[in-house]
Amino acid sequence: MREFRRNLWRHAYAWVLIVFTIFPIWIVFTSAFETTGTLVTTSIFPTKAGWDNFTLLFHSSSIPFGAWIRNTIIIASLNAIISVLIGAAAAYAFSRLKFKGRRIGIQALLLIQVFPTFLALAAIYVIMGEVYKVFPAFGLGSLGGLLLVYLGGSMGINAWLLKGFIDTIPAELDESARVDGASPMQVYWLIFFPLSAPVLAVVALLSFIGTFNEFIMASVFLTDPQSRTIAVGLQQFVGGQFNQNWGPFAAGSLLASIPLVILFLSLQKFIVGGLTAGSVKG
Amino acid sequence: MRHVYRFVGFRGLPATLLKFAFLAIIDIVGGIAASSAFTGNSVILGVALVIALAFINYSYIFRAPTPVKFMAPGIVFLIAFVVVPILYTVVMSGFKFQTGNIITKQDAITQVLARSVKADPSGTAYDITLGHYQGQLAALMRNQTDHTVSLATQQTITPLAAGSYTTDSNGVPNKTAGFTPLTPDEVANLGDAVQQLRFPDGHGKYVAPQYGSLAVLVSQDLSYDPKTDTIKSASTGVTYVDGGQGNFVNPKNPSTDFLTPGWRTPNFPQNFVGLVTNPELRDPFIQVFIWTVMFALLSVLTTFIVGLGLALAMDKKIRGRAFYRSILILPYAIPSFMSILVWRGMFNTDFGIINRILMNFHLISQNIDFFNSSTDSKAIVILVNLWLGFPYMYLISSGALQAIPSELKEAASIDGASAWQSLRQITLPLLLQILSPLLISSFAFNFNNFNIIYLLTGGGPRDALAGQRAGGTDILISYAYQTAISQPNARDYGLASAISMFMFVIVAGLSLWSIRRSKALEEF
Repeated sequence: MREFRRNLWRHAYAWVLIVFTIFPIWIVFTSAFETTGTLVTTSIFPTKAGWDNFTLLFHSSSIPFGAWIRNTIIIASLNAIISVLIGAAAAYAFSRLKFKGRRIGIQALLLIQVFPTFLALAAIYVIMGEVYKVFPAFGLGSLGGLLLVYLGGSMGINAWLLKGFIDTIPAELDESARVDGASPMQVYWLIFFPLSAPVLAVVALLSFIGTFNEFIMASVFLTDPQSRTIAVGLQQFVGGQFNQNWGPFAAGSLLASIPLVILFLSLQKFIVGGLTAGSVKG
Repeated sequence: MRHVYRFVGFRGLPATLLKFAFLAIIDIVGGIAASSAFTGNSVILGVALVIALAFINYSYIFRAPTPVKFMAPGIVFLIAFVVVPILYTVVMSGFKFQTGNIITKQDAITQVLARSVKADPSGTAYDITLGHYQGQLAALMRNQTDHTVSLATQQTITPLAAGSYTTDSNGVPNKTAGFTPLTPDEVANLGDAVQQLRFPDGHGKYVAPQYGSLAVLVSQDLSYDPKTDTIKSASTGVTYVDGGQGNFVNPKNPSTDFLTPGWRTPNFPQNFVGLVTNPELRDPFIQVFIWTVMFALLSVLTTFIVGLGLALAMDKKIRGRAFYRSILILPYAIPSFMSILVWRGMFNTDFGIINRILMNFHLISQNIDFFNSSTDSKAIVILVNLWLGFPYMYLISSGALQAIPSELKEAASIDGASAWQSLRQITLPLLLQILSPLLISSFAFNFNNFNIIYLLTGGGPRDALAGQRAGGTDILISYAYQTAISQPNARDYGLASAISMFMFVIVAGLSLWSIRRSKALEEF
């Protein structure tokens, strides 16, 4: 008991923060299960609980939630896979190959990494508007165009993250392979790639979470309700009618958050490791 | 053992074939795309595609240096979607490029002239047959009102006497000496060119075909003279000249009498100068800039203080620590756009839970319109950002606390320092030293934290009636967005790019400083 009293401030501090943290999460829970589903009826405890909001999500024509999930999964997966392949190759080159301009290159990458793509938002908007005139599938308003823009930033982010990992793989491994006559490409595909598969998977998952969270580019690009991602779709949906659409919005948020929170918590170790390496969640 | 890799994995003929198959697919797809870009009049796009294809082919067919092989795809994407947009931003910032001045000069002239075409008040219309006369497109036409028949060429209109022409079953003239009518297919092939035809009547008016069988009498007030690059008005006699600001202007009264639409035109350094000298742009810009810095500073400070406090509180193995930790990390795990929208709903004026709780406890007598007050909105933005950000600060602080050697603290306590003294004089300075690069990058992140502003307050409160572009909580990035995109009728890409350039400089400076401090690049 004396132990507890000495640590009282620690517990008190934690509990104050827990109340603060839990409050909005609790509100989302109650709103999602409240059957009448408007902001008016939101209260600390649901008055009448049911699944109405969830069924509405998948049966209402004004909320193509299924299409949003599909779009998000497609674009986030493609971006994760392609950008990790691109990033891993670049990271390998920067970590293992000696070449002129390597130092300049990695510094330039680091600088580009801290420039959010959307600082050039107006330029991308105009450029992709031009692309749309010739290739509608890869221009403004398309998932394809959005993917291209995401991929543009992939080398900067992933190469930097992965280089740190590759540096920890003993160089003797590839040196012995080189002695045995392997080309750099073979060293990469036959030795490095299988060795780092788990790490690449983690980076791909992180990239998936990042794309899932991305809002601004997606909102500029995706104007057609059917082609939206979950982030843009839910925002446009609830932003129009805050009171009316609150219940389904809460249900949708809950559905979309749960897999992501699980993913995040299970990757926590790597994410925290990545944090101290200097990356900021965005 | 030496040549074992000759037989391992993919090497030799199959590998080469596969490589060329891949390249062939990329080349075919890219080649088709490039050629359709050229036919679609998008030369720049086509050239960009050709360069990208050439680079890819060079990398994998010819003996390019190995690092190039590894990085070629990444470099292509990086240049196309990061470097080029940044350069394009720089170019746009030197242009007058806004609603009313979006298109090229050539397109602008076409549109200005087209807009000055008006149907004649008499409403005269003609049934026509299009054909060739003396090698030029011409028309035989019958006035729908008085049924007179004429031959219209692109030089003049000549009345025809009865009997000098023949008509079809509808009474529309279709043949006369020297006139060869077009077949319906030939008319269809002309497409839009039909509407471009003008048959002048010699009195300042024109007969303009609307489609293959109908024309109307129109008057076109403006005419363009390519030699002097001027546009003349027939009705007022004013000659409009290129005013150098992307519009044809009346030289006597350039600021109010100009022709629309205009075209995009270089005006460096007007966008930058305007931000500094034009009070309509400068005052909101300064207001936004101050709030951006304040917002970023306050966000870092509040989240860091709360997060560090938590890290210190959890720095001891107290009961329930794992539980506390797993709950308190949640705001960092939940997709932030959702939590921001939830907070926005909770602060809703009429229905939000916060107003209802306050009401239930009789703390207020009527609902507070939070988002209509600049001060309230700012406080809410900081509060919500605290909710979103403190777990991150907790995580990095507790990581840093573990990195501080415990011998230091032990030595201090042996020397008689109190817990508070040891915290203030040993732990905190070391912690700040370790964390300062992360705090700086956190500042840079919040400096550009578009999501929280856009989703929580939309930059508002915004006094639309007063015509203000900048809202009470707008930060630079949301202000640039507002300027560039969000209002379809008042887009200003040039000004938005100038604001972006300004942010580039600040963020780059901060990042360079932070990189220097962290010495992240020392190892290279």
